[in-house]
Amino acid sequence: MLEILKKTMPFQVVSDTMLRRIAELGKRVAYDKAAIIYDAGDSAGDIYIILSGKVEHTLEPGVNARRPVQLLGAGDVFGWAALLEKFPHRLAKAVAIEPAEIVRINGDDLLRLLESDPDSGDVVMSRFATMITRDYTVPDLIAQMRAIHRKLHSSDIQGMNLTMYRLSLWLKSPRPYLMLIGFGLFLSFWYLAVEVWKLPRFREMPGLTVVIKEWLNPDPSYGLSIYTAEYYQHILVSIWRVTQAFVLASLLGVPLGLFLGWSRKFKEYVFPVFETLRPIPILAWVPLAIVMFISTESAVIYLTFLASFFATALNTMLGVESIDESYVRAAYCLGAKRHQVFRHIIIPGALPFIFTGLQISIGVSWFSLVAAEMVSGQYGLGYVINTSYTMVRYPTIVIGMITLGFVGYVTSAMVRILGDYLMQWRVRELALGGQ
Amino acid sequence: MSAIMQQAVPAGTAARGAIRIEDVVKIYDPGGAAVMAVDHCSLDIKAGEICMIVGPSGCGKTTLLNAIAGFHDITSGRILLDGELLCGADKPKAEPGSDRIVVFQNGALFPWKTNLDNVAFGPIMQGKLRPAEAKEKALSMMADAGLSGVEHNYPGEISSGMRRRVEIVRALMNDPKVLLLDEPYRALDSLTKSVMHEALLEIYYKNKVTIFFITHDLEEAIFLGHKVAIMTTRPCKPKKILEVDIPHPRDYSVLTSRRFRELIEETNEAVHEEALKAFAAGEKEG
Repeated sequence: MLEILKKTMPFQVVSDTMLRRIAELGKRVAYDKAAIIYDAGDSAGDIYIILSGKVEHTLEPGVNARRPVQLLGAGDVFGWAALLEKFPHRLAKAVAIEPAEIVRINGDDLLRLLESDPDSGDVVMSRFATMITRDYTVPDLIAQMRAIHRKLHSSDIQGMNLTMYRLSLWLKSPRPYLMLIGFGLFLSFWYLAVEVWKLPRFREMPGLTVVIKEWLNPDPSYGLSIYTAEYYQHILVSIWRVTQAFVLASLLGVPLGLFLGWSRKFKEYVFPVFETLRPIPILAWVPLAIVMFISTESAVIYLTFLASFFATALNTMLGVESIDESYVRAAYCLGAKRHQVFRHIIIPGALPFIFTGLQISIGVSWFSLVAAEMVSGQYGLGYVINTSYTMVRYPTIVIGMITLGFVGYVTSAMVRILGDYLMQWRVRELALGGQ
Repeated sequence: MSAIMQQAVPAGTAARGAIRIEDVVKIYDPGGAAVMAVDHCSLDIKAGEICMIVGPSGCGKTTLLNAIAGFHDITSGRILLDGELLCGADKPKAEPGSDRIVVFQNGALFPWKTNLDNVAFGPIMQGKLRPAEAKEKALSMMADAGLSGVEHNYPGEISSGMRRRVEIVRALMNDPKVLLLDEPYRALDSLTKSVMHEALLEIYYKNKVTIFFITHDLEEAIFLGHKVAIMTTRPCKPKKILEVDIPHPRDYSVLTSRRFRELIEETNEAVHEEALKAFAAGEKEG
């Protein structure tokens, strides 16, 4: 039964534990050929899920359905009138046209169960509504579902739950396994190219086994592995620098971008300067940064900050400019003043672009951090890579590179999760496949 | 349907919301190429009346709506609301305000706010109600309009028909004098459209707000309107003004009545002529 439930449109998205509880509510009933399951006008208590057999479902003329007669088979759900807001009576006649085995679930019980988990409950109900208007083409005035009662202010949990929900979906899909295969192919190429085939140009590279042995070695030959405190010190120093630079870049870049997009005059003053400075590569700033800042630490942070700042500000500005003019007009119509439009329309409207900008920004901040650390600084992953090069510790270079990849990925995922959390409306739209 | 029939409210009794458009001209002048969008257009809309503006896409109807709403200025002429000047010679652009609320062609519910927060937006922004009070009022208005159950959803999660209804309720929350609807049902299929028409009339019979409704659908215009103004294609001005003598309240049986058919026949030619002109002129934009 779980298998069938899982294939139905409304319950596809429900977790396995929830499905089991839904299945527990169901009663299996067998119908003979030509048995009338219910008739229009009957009071509606249960919804029905077909396990086997065929059912003819005829909507009453009053509903003005485009396709009044439907032939239903295994996995189809009908009898949804039990979940409707205003029509707790049957709108259709359902007849088994061959012997059928059907699961009946009481609508009130189902609703109560869904209320215990409003997040997936909401999805189930809106799926029902979509199914009714799409498959049965009943006007949506009728297809209004009874509400899932949830507590107000529970909204701050929802963002996280959605992230978890997406994670569980992801684990159930083939994607993670394809990803593992991808990594497997990459690593085996590395291993084969360097250590087995000894291809030209690859021969001098540190091999996979050498790097892993060094990395996991309690007593590393070049002084850096997951057992040495120094390794973590380098990581922490780099993370701390990126954090400072990223936070500073966001604090300055987002407001600058918002104002650039919001005020044409401001943009005319500032944007040409901005666009002249933006293409200058970070490395070109190095000499000036060293002259400007006495401490190398601030110079490194300044260089890291620069690239992030431009990415954030530019994307934020584009975000403001992408906002549909109708939203702004509608807000003025509804009596909002200029500062309220800024707060309620411009900022949330630009948020998707802002977060795209922040994702790019965290990426380029790692990029420029390493460049800066290679030039100056005493700790950090960029420093590790650079000094290992001069001291001919090739495996350590690769350890530093892989660590950078991991840490960079984690920080960028954190920015994305924060974005999901702040933009539930968007996540929910996407979760429902949009409109 | 029967609920509508029982409410025998005579239309046009509302004391506010009369719009007077006097000799309005609007010339767009992008790069010196003067394009006349509205040409000496005059129109009188009584308080509490549903006035339907019919014309082919791109004929300049929306320009007129934008002038009333205060999104654009006008070149000459003037527009009055209940005798007060909205825009005229000294003040070419009206101030947008919550007495005239636009329902946009593509919908403008804020996707980042829940339906409830969208509906409660106006009074909170204007400082008329505290947020808790505004939400309470929004809940009851949404329930009245058959929108209970979607309050805590985001607009992106409900059907486009429902979104239109939420948007109209959001407008009505502010007790406007005039609702300006810019082809609100353009994107809907004809079945949903018919449901929306009756829902709109139901809301109208309860609120009796003046409605300025732009459409290119003649049947929709005659079914809903007290008055139907058929506009010429660019420049836009009334070609024919029809007073629809089918009594309100109306329901869908009107569509098959003889009078309705007669009115369609009477006006169809005028609309068709303009559509041909618009087609020949190659106007596409709405």
